[in-house]
Amino acid sequence: MSKHDAASVPDRLREAGGLLAGVARQVAREAGVPEADVYGVGSFYHLLARPDAKVRVCTGLSCLLGGAQAVLDAARAAGLPVEGASCLAGCDVPPAVLRDRRTLPLVTVEDVQRAGADWRLLRSAAIGASGSLDVAGVAVAADVAQPEVEWKGAVGPADAADGALALDLCGAQQALGAAFHRARELGPEGVIAALEAAGLQGRGGAGFPAHIKWKGVRSQPVTERYVVLNADEGEPGTFKDRECMLRRPDLLLEGLAIAAFAVGAQECYLYLRGEFEVPWGIVQRAIDAAHASGVYGDIRFHMHAGNGAYICGEETALLEALEGKRGMPRLKPPFPVEVGLWNKPTLIHNVETISCVPGIVQRGGAWFRALGRTEPGTKLYCVSGHVARPGTYELPLGVTLDELVAEAGGYIGTLKAFSPGGASSGFLPATMRDVPLDFGGLGKLGSMLGSAGVVVLNDTVDMRWAAAQQLRFFEDESCGQCAPCRIGTRYLRESVDRHARGEVLDGPLTHVADVAWQMNEGSICGLGQAAPLPLTSALKYFPADFPADARRT
Amino acid sequence: MIERTEPDDAPAVAAARHTLELDGRSVAFERGDTLLEVARRAGVEIPTLCHDPRLEPAGACRTCLVEVSGQRRLVPACATRAADGMKVAAGNERVERHRKTLLGLYLTDHPHDRARAERGAPNELLDMAARYDAPRDWGQMTPKREARDGDRNPYIHFDAATCIACARCTRYCDEVEGVTAITLTGRGAATTISTVDGLSLLDTTCEMCGGCVDVCPTGAMGEKMPLARAAKPERALTKVRSTCNFCGVGCQLDLNVDPDADGGRGRVVKVTSPPPGTTTNDGNLCVKGRFAYDFIHHEERIQAPMVRDASGALVETTWDHALSVAAKGLLGVAAKHGTNSLGFVSSSRCTVEENYLVQKLARAVFRSNNVHQCAAT
Repeated sequence: MSKHDAASVPDRLREAGGLLAGVARQVAREAGVPEADVYGVGSFYHLLARPDAKVRVCTGLSCLLGGAQAVLDAARAAGLPVEGASCLAGCDVPPAVLRDRRTLPLVTVEDVQRAGADWRLLRSAAIGASGSLDVAGVAVAADVAQPEVEWKGAVGPADAADGALALDLCGAQQALGAAFHRARELGPEGVIAALEAAGLQGRGGAGFPAHIKWKGVRSQPVTERYVVLNADEGEPGTFKDRECMLRRPDLLLEGLAIAAFAVGAQECYLYLRGEFEVPWGIVQRAIDAAHASGVYGDIRFHMHAGNGAYICGEETALLEALEGKRGMPRLKPPFPVEVGLWNKPTLIHNVETISCVPGIVQRGGAWFRALGRTEPGTKLYCVSGHVARPGTYELPLGVTLDELVAEAGGYIGTLKAFSPGGASSGFLPATMRDVPLDFGGLGKLGSMLGSAGVVVLNDTVDMRWAAAQQLRFFEDESCGQCAPCRIGTRYLRESVDRHARGEVLDGPLTHVADVAWQMNEGSICGLGQAAPLPLTSALKYFPADFPADARRT
Repeated sequence: MIERTEPDDAPAVAAARHTLELDGRSVAFERGDTLLEVARRAGVEIPTLCHDPRLEPAGACRTCLVEVSGQRRLVPACATRAADGMKVAAGNERVERHRKTLLGLYLTDHPHDRARAERGAPNELLDMAARYDAPRDWGQMTPKREARDGDRNPYIHFDAATCIACARCTRYCDEVEGVTAITLTGRGAATTISTVDGLSLLDTTCEMCGGCVDVCPTGAMGEKMPLARAAKPERALTKVRSTCNFCGVGCQLDLNVDPDADGGRGRVVKVTSPPPGTTTNDGNLCVKGRFAYDFIHHEERIQAPMVRDASGALVETTWDHALSVAAKGLLGVAAKHGTNSLGFVSSSRCTVEENYLVQKLARAVFRSNNVHQCAAT
């Protein structure tokens, strides 16, 4: 059994139609992998484990605010093979619905009723005949040359001056190779020095200084090394990597090639979540063009599709998934820099992070650093929920919520609460609207910038309900490997549900603080460590939304 | 040999060896030791559920987390290598709170009732929860783990409710036996143990070694026969160390005897493994050693030598008489038909030495080269 045989298991399961009876045994025979292992892998990933569900309605917080429950109910009533889904990275176009592996934006009850009982007929009326999408009143140009591009979300600012933005999602794609050529002139050390001067922080959530990882991989004695792209975007409220891939695949590939050159790798693995069928097509075409042109020499790109598991956005779970295993995070240390993909030194970056690299190489670290306000660079902020124009906005790192929402057309209603960085960042009260949205500052507040998936909630939202939705997400997406997260996510969700049902006499929230402490201390990875935050922060800032709490009686 | 005049924690000795600080005292270690190994040698208790010295550390059960100075997070002692000068706290307030709350959380997803949760092997989780005074009043959730009812295999039973998904069984099956018949399946709260497509173990690669039963810390993987016979829980049985007599390897096993059974004569009601690292077989057994103990008290078991009387019926006799009858018979055949008409077949249940003696008997005494052993091909 070679490493590639094992790695092929998820794809083979997918091609066989998912984990239907007999499929695991057949795939095991073909791949030369133990059949129990194949079954264990298939049962881990939602899109493989439940092949009968053909329609999945996002039940993330933003989509629920956008009417997802009515769509889900209508789909059930229509007899569609439907189930609820964790965040589909379409929070700006709610409710997002997955039809097989294609994400449809702005799906309405009428859309569902038009489809009747045939899931294949499900369409979003928001997508016009030309493939263009009118997002909250902003016409987005159809990409007629790329008919499979069904939609892109709102992005901004659209009219930035040359060099004012690190990424410029509205900008024109560049011919591949220019920044790579410059990187070769600078040499690996020069490239890493530029990154250090830029102060680029990882934009997947942790905000870790990028140059330390690059130096780490480059200095390993093992010469077989890999570059891995984390495009498993799934943090509720986050959809920026989707836009990066849809609009600027040029920056992505250029960045990956530069990374491979700088750390001494030849193979780049791109892991896209399975629901990213449309971005997949765009990136695949860019890769085909790059390979055909030979612009990056011996550097090769390999695409890998996820199969429905938020946890695979955790870098070591992603490596496990790439190796064809259950996506359970590894113990750290050792870190991927030393022991990564197939136990070789590996550089893993988020899409946005890697897409910042070409600009830094071409314009210099000082340029990038100066783009930020409180921390270096511009940042893609995703904003959804109660704002006029949900979308992805590239602004100086450290803007406030009010500035961001102004860019997104203003608030709908009166601000009550917001999540600055997805579900994992918990909730902050409206009084913190002036806090700079950056890595360091939010961390000090017990929250985090994370993936900068900003969700805005107005005063119509009951925070107990909002917390329960986030807890359900973490319960559904816990990998189950370690007890604090496996048991704790469910325990907290059941506690809040019982509280909401009025079972307050025996104090369903009495032990929340202890359980939350345990999850934070005891969990292996960030999912379990952060999972209690939506509840603990809601209890802290919005106690009025938890009436008759037995803790205070 | 140099006489040691200084105590273990004296600086002169410390400089000569690797040492770390464990709960305030200096402890020596070898390169490559884990914190768990160091602590256990030093007599410091660190609880574990998913650990087994035969397996790669998983760090999944989280019971062994300890505090290491300079590390923001608690670290799993089973998977953390000792390093010079490390300051480790295995029992401070933070670690104690961790153990209590973790075990309290486990109990919300596990039956508390011993009669229910300890039908076979001792339940290490309940023992540990009692030892660390874990809260029992956090309420209980209905387990979401799916059982694999109806597995028609005769030996191994799986109780999903008491499974804690520590994966000791699946890792043992994979890493030690190389069989990989069982796997972690599902995810989140539903994570449990299954086979491919949930099939009976008989329809998988399972070799019925019962290692999964042996390594399970809660008895979720249990043995069917004692359950079917309503045998006493393992705690009430007496362990008698013995040597498996199914082959010549000489695996050590523990006969679990119910001393009150059979009118006080006692009865072997199950077989368990000695702890890993203590015997040549390292606690590993095969299907015969672990499950085929029924012969011990079987009514048809021959317990004395027998010879046929004049009517052809078998009659109990002494060893001397039985051997002389056999010798006479064999010598009679040799005299009448020649030594080549004799053949000797030995058993795979004999040791190498016994097999040697059988061929010696054949060749030197009966002058025949017709000698074989049932396991030879």
